[in-house]
Amino acid sequence: MISTLDKLYAILWRDLLTAIRHRSGFVVTLAGVLIELAAFYYLSRAIGPGFRPSGVEYFPFLMVGTGVYTFFVMSAQAFLSSVQEAQQTGTLEVLMTTSTAPSELVMLSSISAFGGNLVNLLVYFFAGVAVFRAAVHANFLSCAAVLILSLAIALAIGIAAATLQVAFQKGSALLWLLGSGLWFLSGTMFPIQSLPRPLELLARAVPLTYAIDGMRRALLEGQSMVAMAPTLAVLAGFGVVLLPLALAGLSLSLRRARQNGTLSFY
Amino acid sequence: MERVVFESVRKIFRHRPALFNWLGRERGGETVALKDVSFSAAGAEVLVLLGPNGSGKTTALKLISTMLLPDAGSVRVGGFDARRDAGEVRRQVGIAVAAERSFFPRLSARENLEFFASLDEVPRRERAPRIQEVLRDTGLEEQADTLVMKFSSGMYQRLGIARALVKRPVVLLLDEPTRSLDAATTAHFWATIRALARQKTTVLLATHNFAEAAAVGDRLLLLDRGELLVDRPVGDGDNPEALRAFYFRMTGEKGEKLVIGDL
Repeated sequence: MISTLDKLYAILWRDLLTAIRHRSGFVVTLAGVLIELAAFYYLSRAIGPGFRPSGVEYFPFLMVGTGVYTFFVMSAQAFLSSVQEAQQTGTLEVLMTTSTAPSELVMLSSISAFGGNLVNLLVYFFAGVAVFRAAVHANFLSCAAVLILSLAIALAIGIAAATLQVAFQKGSALLWLLGSGLWFLSGTMFPIQSLPRPLELLARAVPLTYAIDGMRRALLEGQSMVAMAPTLAVLAGFGVVLLPLALAGLSLSLRRARQNGTLSFY
Repeated sequence: MERVVFESVRKIFRHRPALFNWLGRERGGETVALKDVSFSAAGAEVLVLLGPNGSGKTTALKLISTMLLPDAGSVRVGGFDARRDAGEVRRQVGIAVAAERSFFPRLSARENLEFFASLDEVPRRERAPRIQEVLRDTGLEEQADTLVMKFSSGMYQRLGIARALVKRPVVLLLDEPTRSLDAATTAHFWATIRALARQKTTVLLATHNFAEAAAVGDRLLLLDRGELLVDRPVGDGDNPEALRAFYFRMTGEKGEKLVIGDL
């Protein structure tokens, strides 16, 4: 356990140093956050105060939807990029010869990638409230529960993308599918009840739908964990199923790559 | 006791053309990288792998490091099978690969070594002194806190050796370790290898450099097109010229000396 925490610290420290040494990176990210929020703010003003999806104002509805969606997709993207970069430089092969088991290494690396984007998500929400006056009635305990359970699902998605990258050098394809499909189906911009019945049923099979819905209810409506128990249970169920599946897939693809000599192919 | 054992190891790389290759000329096929190769290496022994490009030297090192898995036969390190007990094998093996840029460019040399040392489970309190020691041994003390993105090829190569040494492996694998090093650093490196062997480390070194083979080797493996042609000790009479003549005789390659006047 101590050894695992020590490795996690090493990976977090590596990623933090790399991030802060990209001097313009933080400023660009912050500017991007403000521009995106401004676009959604004026979009909601253009639509007018009469549109209140799920009973809340449209701007906070958009803020939570796009924030959680971006957290999922950008985290998976960041993790996938680190795997692709490691393949291109030859670092991946060397990492696979250290005393750390490959699956442990990937898991810890993905936690770091998602941790960085969690900070971005918090900055996004903070800027939405502080700069654009989004009305929130947060239940912080429920928010934390939704975030933690969503993280397990997000990790599974990132690891699945890495698995496809190692196996077929096509991790980006999964993210492209996520980027376009989930944007439409997960209730990011509008309630899924607006979709035709078959698509609504499909949307209910998407884990991100529950993460976004849960975060809206926890952050905007202040619902307690008891009131949100069914949503939290669904999120936990997705995590329990998807995370071990993604790890097993990754383990298989790494073994196949070592057998075929394609570990550093990209 | 034998520390590294290769037993009838076969490794084949299969090439499949891309899925959509209607217009291309890419064809499927396979390359036999190692054909039923067997050898072993004891503790305190420096085994030199010589052979032309594509002879299987790097493949052999990658199989020992568990980067690759064999198609047939077995690879054992310290009694552990590289396929079944890969984790135990990785704990014993350190590898300096030929790929130069296998580091994190926005970390310094010291930060890179700290990162890899933690993944190699080097105890926290031992890390700083060990890193200082390998930085000194590889002549990188002055560049220890420079971001590696500013390094030259030779400095990358030294850092790769430092990374392999910092875990104090019982089996050290080196793939063309002195390819980009200057003469003084190379001489110091050879002395380091001999010192490691005296401390019971098993060293497997793939090289094209006959002077290196003569200077550090205890035993010589000559590979050609995946086959082990020769496995013999390096004797007192094995100076670089003698090794060079022996190599060309065994591989059938033409190795005429380049005379400047011929250019």
